[in-house]
Amino acid sequence: MYVRAIPTTDVNRNTEWFTYPGVWTTYILILFFSWLLVLSVFHCSPGIAWTIVHLAHFTVTYHSFHWKKGTPFGDDQGIYNRLTWWEQIDNGKQLTRNRKFLTVVPVVLSMLGLQ
Amino acid sequence: MITIPYLTAVSTYFSYGLLFAFGQLRDYSRLIFDWWSTNNLQGYAPICLAHEDFYIRRLYHRIQDCFGRPISSAPDAWVDVVERYSNDNNKTLKRTTKSKRCLNLGSYNYLGFGSFDEYCTPRVIEALKKFSASTCSSRVDAGTTSVHAELEECVANYVGKPAAIVTGMGFATNSAIIPVLIGKGGLIISDSLNHTSIVNGARGSGATIRVFQHNTPGHLERVLKEQIAEGQPRTHRPWKKIMVVVEGIYSMEGEICQLPEIVSICKKYKAYVYLDEAHSIGAIGKTGRGVCELLGVDPADVDIMMGTFTKSFGSCGGYIAGSKDLIQYLKYHCPAHLYATSISTPSAQQIISAIKVILGEDGSNRGAQKLARIRENSNFFRAELQKMGFEVLGDNDSPVMPIMLYNPAKIPAFSRECLRENVAVVVVGFPATPLLLARARICISASHSREDLIKALQVISKAGDLTGIKYFPAAPKKQEEEKDGIKLD
Repeated sequence: MYVRAIPTTDVNRNTEWFTYPGVWTTYILILFFSWLLVLSVFHCSPGIAWTIVHLAHFTVTYHSFHWKKGTPFGDDQGIYNRLTWWEQIDNGKQLTRNRKFLTVVPVVLSMLGLQ
Repeated sequence: MITIPYLTAVSTYFSYGLLFAFGQLRDYSRLIFDWWSTNNLQGYAPICLAHEDFYIRRLYHRIQDCFGRPISSAPDAWVDVVERYSNDNNKTLKRTTKSKRCLNLGSYNYLGFGSFDEYCTPRVIEALKKFSASTCSSRVDAGTTSVHAELEECVANYVGKPAAIVTGMGFATNSAIIPVLIGKGGLIISDSLNHTSIVNGARGSGATIRVFQHNTPGHLERVLKEQIAEGQPRTHRPWKKIMVVVEGIYSMEGEICQLPEIVSICKKYKAYVYLDEAHSIGAIGKTGRGVCELLGVDPADVDIMMGTFTKSFGSCGGYIAGSKDLIQYLKYHCPAHLYATSISTPSAQQIISAIKVILGEDGSNRGAQKLARIRENSNFFRAELQKMGFEVLGDNDSPVMPIMLYNPAKIPAFSRECLRENVAVVVVGFPATPLLLARARICISASHSREDLIKALQVISKAGDLTGIKYFPAAPKKQEEEKDGIKLD
């Protein structure tokens, strides 16, 4: 029931929250509940609902991860002003567990929409 | 090590997600609104990049009444907090002329020098009459008085180093002196939770910065080994200088740094140690000499000892203590010494008098009493909070105790509820702390009496019940009493 939160070595406050426990679960739960919401509002089949969730997920994540540059606060003196969130995460290191998770999620969503 | 209930972590992320989503929606509607209305600023560039002040506009302004509360009396154990009201949903706050007498759990008043003191204040008033409020000059021009020279000697003796240099501002001590000590081609290894002044100074110096996991000497050793083997980036030449920067007490965690292990690792790999004792000088250790005395580290092993006078001495300014050569070099090169105004003379006198009281040189044992009282108060308060089931961080003996809140909605709820009951606490959230780990930080003072602490405990317990932050089960107290009752029968 309890988890330990070990402080990370990432000084970028915009991305270090993604390394704490519970993020993946929250992400998956938000997707699941939005699927239920879409089902209850539109009364469509589950596959269509997953496709709608997938498209909405695409819009939100494209805008926040790959379009907006910089950080939402001014404390870091603008050193990340030219980097998108995807480029900032994990200090720029590629192929970490977080990046692999975030790559797999849209793939899974699209496959669920094929039902 | 912070232990979070899993459900709380998930709900905190969800709350922040909701807040960010609403903030974005409002930003979009503002964009559409502004497109329809005309403004007279055609052709001007925006004052800040659109995304940069998102957090301040959409999250911080909502709960702005919990931060930056003005006070109208000296920061003693009890303080007058000015009441404010807002007509436009917390975007602007207006002060009223009324104020509330509140128990002060937010000021860094560790030894109680924050208000009238029978030894210090008369001497400060004398210095004010003789030297006036400001020296109106930098140290090298005409700003060094006999009080300044006495202060530097006094501080050097107190800390246990051959010499010291004093500047007028604690933040500027770090951010102006680190660039003088190390430059391009050097390596700074700093703790991941170091204060913004150190981060600013390190970034301004031009040296390469590496971070090691908070208070973990094992990780520091790994980082040192790796960096010494790799050398400077791209050229792989050996580093010109390696400096490890740690703090005595971390102000957001209340933890004491593991100085003996870090000093032994630095000696092994020939790196310099820079110790920032802003919160620990005067507050811990048997005679208040800080973390070196508490953990039994010889001050000669720590190369540069930095501290501030804001916390335990009731004044302002910062100092650096080190070898005579180091201080001589700093006096010739440090911009805070050459160009910045020197520390105000009455403030310097306050520090000298405070140090004399702490060491007992004023003829009484008030200093030793204060040190014993702050230790007692801190340990008592922390033990009682933990018994009630709160998650309190920090080591024993540390006067800083953060109570974990986690959820963003609990930050203003806890703060406002405590203020309603006349207790003033400081709450901290993102981005000063990690996103998940918002907290209320309590600073205990030697001028808090036992009744004050008990009242504070009652109010915090009530506020904690209302906001649901007692994440750990409370220690069973009634069962023991029942057992004793049965045994007597």
